[in-house]
Amino acid sequence: MITTTVGNFPKVAEDAYTTKVIGAISRWQRKELTDSELERVFQEVTKAVIQEQETAGLDLLTDGQVRWEDLLNPIARKLEGFEINGLSRWFDNNIYYRRPILHKAPRWTGPILVRDYQFAAQCTSRPLKAILPGPYTFAKMSEDRYYKSEQKFTRAMAEILHQEAKALEHAGAPFIQFDEPALGFAKPNMALAVEAIGIVTQGLKAKTALYTYFGALNGNLGSLMRAKVDVIGLDLVSSPKTIMNLKHVPIKKTLALGCLDGRNTKLESVTELHALFNVIRKILPLEQIYVNPNTGLEFLPHEQALQKIQRLQEAVVSYGER
Amino acid sequence: MLLTTSVGSLPKPDYLTQARSQTRRGEMDPSRLRQLEQRATGEWIKAQEELGIDILVDGEQYRGDMVAYFAEHLGGFKQSGLVRSYGNRYYRKPILAGKITRPKPVTVDWWRFAQKQTRKPVKGMLTGPYTIMDWSFNEHFPSRRAASLAIARVIHEEAKDLERAGAQYIQIDEPAISTRPEEMDLAIEALGLVTRGLRAHTITHICYGDFKTIGPKLRRLPVDQIDLEFANRGFELLAFFKGKRFPKAIGLGVVDVHNHRVESTKEVVANLKKALKVFKPDQIYVDPDCGLKTRTPEEAKEKLRVVVEAAQAVRQELMN
Ligand SMILES: [Zn+2]
Repeated sequence: MITTTVGNFPKVAEDAYTTKVIGAISRWQRKELTDSELERVFQEVTKAVIQEQETAGLDLLTDGQVRWEDLLNPIARKLEGFEINGLSRWFDNNIYYRRPILHKAPRWTGPILVRDYQFAAQCTSRPLKAILPGPYTFAKMSEDRYYKSEQKFTRAMAEILHQEAKALEHAGAPFIQFDEPALGFAKPNMALAVEAIGIVTQGLKAKTALYTYFGALNGNLGSLMRAKVDVIGLDLVSSPKTIMNLKHVPIKKTLALGCLDGRNTKLESVTELHALFNVIRKILPLEQIYVNPNTGLEFLPHEQALQKIQRLQEAVVSYGER
Repeated sequence: MLLTTSVGSLPKPDYLTQARSQTRRGEMDPSRLRQLEQRATGEWIKAQEELGIDILVDGEQYRGDMVAYFAEHLGGFKQSGLVRSYGNRYYRKPILAGKITRPKPVTVDWWRFAQKQTRKPVKGMLTGPYTIMDWSFNEHFPSRRAASLAIARVIHEEAKDLERAGAQYIQIDEPAISTRPEEMDLAIEALGLVTRGLRAHTITHICYGDFKTIGPKLRRLPVDQIDLEFANRGFELLAFFKGKRFPKAIGLGVVDVHNHRVESTKEVVANLKKALKVFKPDQIYVDPDCGLKTRTPEEAKEKLRVVVEAAQAVRQELMN
């Protein structure tokens, strides 16, 4: 089993690295801090977050997405064609994101995350994955005043995300993950989502993953297996049915299974996790899976976020030693 | 008919906002803070009376977050480390960590304090069990249902105490109810435990909702009145109620609380008239969309003034 996280990490840690991001951002907003001074704070926190993942023993790291306000903002702000609107609820969470509004044809004008990726990658000798929103979720969670067509908007986003993914691959990212939480809600257009991710990953040599989380995939697991990616991320916590559904679907991909609750402070016991691994083992060989918390860890205070990855690693190591 | 009220929170005056942060930093004595909270409450009671509002609120000058306030005063909760809610905003999310108890009444003293200063009825204001559950971490209960029902039992005790103290209106806010339509039945069950056996007029306020999915179940919410945001959706919600003969009273939000612009009396009158095509006059309570705490005190008063003027104008017309 390869241990990893879904992506984000708390930006503040009262019990560890620092809470200075809060003050730095407000000073930067008041123009009392320059871009590069703010960037230095982000780099400091990124380093600390990577250090924590390394110390915990995770195999595949992320930069903790400490610069990210939400999944869409960092990308939308750097593309032509978008404005950022007011707050909307982020799926079934009591957490908000700023809704991008598309008002003209979207255009990628150059690499967005490459510098951040390069900084993070040189903080560790372990592999570090790059994370991007998936095209379907991006379109679904934005307001489309230009195409007025979900299909056209989603395909356009797929082209853009393909360019960004190419740039990240070129910068050395060995693994690129696309987050598609929208697939767990309402009745997603799976054919469109699968088509779009195919556009994104076309010709990429890096390993690619499509991560779903929150909500429930229900009957859509089968169509997800047709997505042109190497790894499919599934949240086994938010909907207990997901693991049952897995038994009835031919598994054609490597799976990344969300086994700990990234949205609740309650810490899973090693015994509980071993029981879950036992269930998973009956469905597919454990050597072929990634394991991670079900969602990003920013829903948790730092103390519990850190405990979750430590517990994950502990459970995986002790499972191998049984 | 067309009684006017507000949803609950009213903005805190600057002196109180300052005092709260001074107290947090240990620079002000909590008893001094309490005096200022009383002063602000008294000022809001007077302001609501002067504006001519029919059913008053205490304005929640002594509360911060609507869930955290109850978590701090009930037993069984812990406070978490900082969690980001959006942008650069952080808060401490309550943790359900043990058996939920109510060592003593939470809101009754404040309700009495406010009611003493006016002859108009003051609403008792509570946060609903489903929302408290949904907006907390859960380390203790085996399920979301178990947590909601345990919280409901103590909120019920609180409601009973408010009623015993003389509250004729008790509002139990459930803003979280609309986020997970699949849990609407749970929210209804928990709210039923809260309102069971109450004689007071009970109200629930719901916001930011996706009414396509929860709408059909609204009539099953065990309260006398359902209070909803109409203004910030351009009154399109009226279409949902049209021709349905809704069996409960409806709290009609007629001014948008997220907007600095103060609506004109004329436009609110026009919207009230639209609503009267769907609801009966004595079925409607008129108020702002949501709590006014994010507006300035002046904006809040102006918005409330428009609520009152519009309701009065329409009442006049109906009586002539
Ligand atoms: Zn509201």
